[in-house]
Amino acid sequence: MTDNRRHHPALVLFKVGKLIRNSIFIILILFVLQADNDGPLLVYGRYAFLLFFVWSIVSAILNWLTSTYALDDQRFYLRRGIFSKTDQSIPFSKVQNINRHTSFFHRVLGLTSIRFETGIAGEDATVNFEVATKKEATRLESAVQEYKEMLEVEPDMATVAEDGSETEYVPSSRKQPEQRVIHFQPTRCDLLKASMTSFSFLLLIPLIASLYYNVSEFISLEERLDGIGTSLLGSPWIIASGVAMIIAASFTFGIIHTFIKYGKYEISSDSERIYIKKGVVSEASFSIAKERVQALEITQSFSKRVLGLAEVKLISAGSLTMGAEDLNISSLYPFLPKQKAYALVAELLPGYQIQEDMQRLPRRALWLRMLKPSWLWLFATAALFYFKPNFLGIVDTWWIASILLLIVIFASRILDFLHTRYLLNDELIQLKDGGFTSTLFVTKREKIVEVEITQNRIQRAFGLSSLKTVTRARPIHTSYLEDVPDALTGTFRLWYRGRTREIKLDAPN
Amino acid sequence: MNGQSVVLQHSLSPHAVKYWRMEELIFNIIAFIVLAVLFYLDFRFDWYSWIFWVLVALAIFFVIGLVWSFLSPPLTFKSWRYDLDEEFLHLQFGIWSRTEQLVPMTKIQAVSLTQGPLMRKYKLASLSVETMGSSHAIPALPKETAGELRERIAQFAKIKEVEQ
Repeated sequence: MTDNRRHHPALVLFKVGKLIRNSIFIILILFVLQADNDGPLLVYGRYAFLLFFVWSIVSAILNWLTSTYALDDQRFYLRRGIFSKTDQSIPFSKVQNINRHTSFFHRVLGLTSIRFETGIAGEDATVNFEVATKKEATRLESAVQEYKEMLEVEPDMATVAEDGSETEYVPSSRKQPEQRVIHFQPTRCDLLKASMTSFSFLLLIPLIASLYYNVSEFISLEERLDGIGTSLLGSPWIIASGVAMIIAASFTFGIIHTFIKYGKYEISSDSERIYIKKGVVSEASFSIAKERVQALEITQSFSKRVLGLAEVKLISAGSLTMGAEDLNISSLYPFLPKQKAYALVAELLPGYQIQEDMQRLPRRALWLRMLKPSWLWLFATAALFYFKPNFLGIVDTWWIASILLLIVIFASRILDFLHTRYLLNDELIQLKDGGFTSTLFVTKREKIVEVEITQNRIQRAFGLSSLKTVTRARPIHTSYLEDVPDALTGTFRLWYRGRTREIKLDAPN
Repeated sequence: MNGQSVVLQHSLSPHAVKYWRMEELIFNIIAFIVLAVLFYLDFRFDWYSWIFWVLVALAIFFVIGLVWSFLSPPLTFKSWRYDLDEEFLHLQFGIWSRTEQLVPMTKIQAVSLTQGPLMRKYKLASLSVETMGSSHAIPALPKETAGELRERIAQFAKIKEVEQ
């Protein structure tokens, strides 16, 4: 076990920076924009804010002084708390995935941050090093990864080690880290396509709007703009070129946004783990052991289907998000060409040979679904009938809206029926459904925690049943397959019972 | 599930029907008293007229519930089946919509036995099993059977999968 260490001192700086960033608007109002205002609310507000600010800094320093960590070859030992101390030990075996994130701040100081996500319930599920030197992060990461390799190579020894008795494990005998194979790096063409489907060019609109509202709260922009507006609207040429400029600007913005977010993407793997790296300005990387992938989800939104793209998501029992920065990296790459996606999955996860030829639901399932009352429509229609809104001066709005809603609901039901496919493919289960956005869920039966088969009276009359599977995730992931023929339930039950052949049993203790 | 269904071996305690009826009876008596008091207060203090209609609606629900609480226990009893072997716990239940659950023993994290005062009178106990995602309960088993089952499940569930 190494000595107790403190976190990197820059953590205090990082916390203060975060504090300033989060309270920038309050600071602006209190000390800049309303600096001359001596109203009692503002005066006391300033004192209260200063007090809060000083307290935050002091507590950040105290927290840094009192939190320490250490690790041996099996566990993290964490200690923290200013007044009441908490000691925590988290075994490496519980770590589900590793996230590394280098924000702009980290980059300037040559530092990074690293998080180890575990499948433990509750708040303490993550071992989080918000600031660490690159060397230290690598040391921590390799400590956790080596433990897993040891478990993989010599399972018996690992169990011995867990009992606390002596370990015969010699680090020097550790096998050499093998070369990582790079599976995917987006080309320029991929990125351009991605920027079209992600609609990120539309992001400019809310950005400008929020900027406008934030600014106009203090300066009366509207009056000034009104003056300009009336003079501009006089000439059609100016309007046309203005519109063209805005469109061009949003496309450029969208492309830049996509290049920054999804450029420099890299998916690689070795025999044990999958690694994903991304980010141009701030970097994030993610790694997960292959056998810890609980399931896969391949999603195609409407626009992605048109362009033949798909998003592959890995489902892990640990949390996958990288915090507030919107660097959610659970997906392999959101804009993969569909065939490439399937090939990539097969390369990365050898057990996952997804078959595209899947079974459809029987036609009677469609009738059953059409017969099902739509509560949404019933309530919406009742509300419309009661309020009878006059949209654009049309008196008949209520029944037109009601019919339109009904058409949308039925269209989505028909699409859902057409998209629903299923397949029990050896030890894999493939479930696909969805109306406008289709989702294919794939998992192995050993990863399924429990299954449920239900059948209500109407389904019984039609000879149909529904299946439900539960897999580990944060929170639990449930997927449904509704209205399958009765004959499948028996097969499904037997198929699930077959999992006993694949699971590895721990030595009973 | 027409022919596809496997026949599960065990059903609940036959006393379950009596127990449920008794439980429902107590609940219904309390509900009746509350409703009667409300009607009396409405009459005595001359509340708004819409309150009376709300109370009437509640009374209608109460009567429907009363009838159902008398009819449902035998049906629930008939619908309940469970079975277990060293690998799986298999549950099947539901009157309107039949549900079948298959839980691997290795995924069971806790077993517990509960017994309320009324259950004690009928020598019943309910067994609940917790997994990673949810909890499942077998209601109204004979006390001894429940104890036995708990031991067996605990025994089977002791063997853990290598968790990944």
